[in-house]
Amino acid sequence: MTQLASQQNDTASGPETTAPEGRLGRLKERGPGRLWQRVWTSLVVLAILIAFLLPYEWMFASGLKTQSGIFADISPLSWKTFIPVEVTFENIIELFVGRGVGRALLNSFLVAAFQVICSLVLCTLAAYALTRIAFKGRNVVFAIILATFMLPAEALVVPLYQLISAMSLQDTLLAVGVPWIASAFGLFLLRQSFEAVPLEMDEAAKLDGAGHFRIFWSVILPVVRVDIVTFVLMIFLFSWNGFLWPLVAIQSTENTLVQVAVAQSVSPGALPNWGLTFAGASVATIPLVILFIFLQRLFIPGLARTGLK
Amino acid sequence: MSSTTTRLVRGAERKRSRRELLVAAGFLAPFLIILVIFQYVPVGLLVKNSLFGYTLINPDLQTFVGLENFARIFKDPTTLQTILVTLIFAVGVVVLIIPLGFLLASYLNRPLPGRGILRTAVFLPVITSSVVVATLWNFLLANEGLVNAALNSLGFSTMSFLTDQSLALPSIIIMSVWQQVGMATILYLGGLQSIPGDVMEASTLDGAGGLKRTFLIVIPLLTRTTVMVVVIMTVFALQSFTPAYVMTQGAPGGTTNLLVYEIYKQAFTLQDPGFASALSVLLLVGAITISLVQMRLLRTRWDY
Repeated sequence: MTQLASQQNDTASGPETTAPEGRLGRLKERGPGRLWQRVWTSLVVLAILIAFLLPYEWMFASGLKTQSGIFADISPLSWKTFIPVEVTFENIIELFVGRGVGRALLNSFLVAAFQVICSLVLCTLAAYALTRIAFKGRNVVFAIILATFMLPAEALVVPLYQLISAMSLQDTLLAVGVPWIASAFGLFLLRQSFEAVPLEMDEAAKLDGAGHFRIFWSVILPVVRVDIVTFVLMIFLFSWNGFLWPLVAIQSTENTLVQVAVAQSVSPGALPNWGLTFAGASVATIPLVILFIFLQRLFIPGLARTGLK
Repeated sequence: MSSTTTRLVRGAERKRSRRELLVAAGFLAPFLIILVIFQYVPVGLLVKNSLFGYTLINPDLQTFVGLENFARIFKDPTTLQTILVTLIFAVGVVVLIIPLGFLLASYLNRPLPGRGILRTAVFLPVITSSVVVATLWNFLLANEGLVNAALNSLGFSTMSFLTDQSLALPSIIIMSVWQQVGMATILYLGGLQSIPGDVMEASTLDGAGGLKRTFLIVIPLLTRTTVMVVVIMTVFALQSFTPAYVMTQGAPGGTTNLLVYEIYKQAFTLQDPGFASALSVLLLVGAITISLVQMRLLRTRWDY
């Protein structure tokens, strides 16, 4: 697992990291094939953009249309399919006033914030012990933690449900967040960044008479703050996007999380209201999309290390 | 040094190491306690439950059934179909995502116009929740949805992607590939950027052309990355639940009845958590085996 991550250290790929292929490629580009190559490249780029962005565009646009408007615009296909001509906010209003999506968003945010704060405390402390304190059995402890990295969360839903029922936590927001705060993935991420801090810094602080907690708080944490942002984003992402466990753990409408609310507006039985569902899906997605667009560079090193947990 | 001082030093050292152990325990305790309660205890409970027959409504009324739940997995044709469907789904996702992820990464690794927006576009589905992706695709693939509208305007007839027995599973495979290909691309980009520049230059000087270079040098050098992508995507696919829940409910004819959806149904709808636990144990063993194989493979040196 450690090898796995060290290989991926430089995954945050900026435009400045020009690969050798680029230089060689450009040397070869001269010649009659060049124009065709450029046309071909542009076509491929366009196709990729359409495949990945157009569905989102359609989703956001349709959330601003009425049910009949969506169907009228979709066939025949035209620019109107993707641009709302008569913008209506009735879906958004119905979502927040009639369906209580504000409450679901708040619940999702509360659970995510709880998970971020608790796992930050737990994982930074544990990562410090595993990288900075020499004690017997350190590797055994690390192995015990890493082993849980292999457990698929989806397989544990039934016993976890039993566990939170036994703790009388069913249908509480606490039950949604608390099982995941000892995150092996998070610890793994932080352990790596803690290891990158030179031990000389500890030694210097020790000579100044600092104890472990002082070193942890005022030497290590300030140095690794960028990785901590990545950590926070990852935990927030997993929590916000989680579905199966919130679906199982919560029964009442007032404690519903936003993903469950969206899923239930499409799910079996009733014919879905397309406009309303699109608007709901948009509302559930926009916070993360905005975060991602601005902080992409901090997301990607974290994503590169996930086993998608 | 006299023996007394040695003993004193040793004594102090032992005292220090004991103190260090205590401090370490303090730092680790919160994490380990939560980890044991919410990871190790559930695994134990899961294995125990898989040997019992009971309901969630009345969990105290248990009867010991031994390995009967496991025997049922391999006797019940519905469950066998579920396992088969899940495996086909996993293989389909992996087989499509490897070449696509590699191609996209090779593309994004070059100086292209608009590379930044291209990269954002490919990664966007990775950070979008599975519920939103499934919801969106549900409407994309509906009979009156966007894909069929496009097909109609090109002169093709409407296809029932999610209700036709031969199209439903391929449809959710393609949806999952769309959703996860950005992940494979991130991993391959990392791999590509770790290939030393002189290796590429040397191969060009040796007269290796683009295709030859890709197949004889780049792909073998990326074996480790490929192993990782295969494992991550397989584990992702084995755990998939949302497409079945949101889009198809396992229909038509059980052709999209993914394993985790079956576990969910058995435990919470059909009130048979014992059997659901046996299925979960199967999933657990499968995922752990794949991870162990990965570790084994990555420990092998892939030097060329």
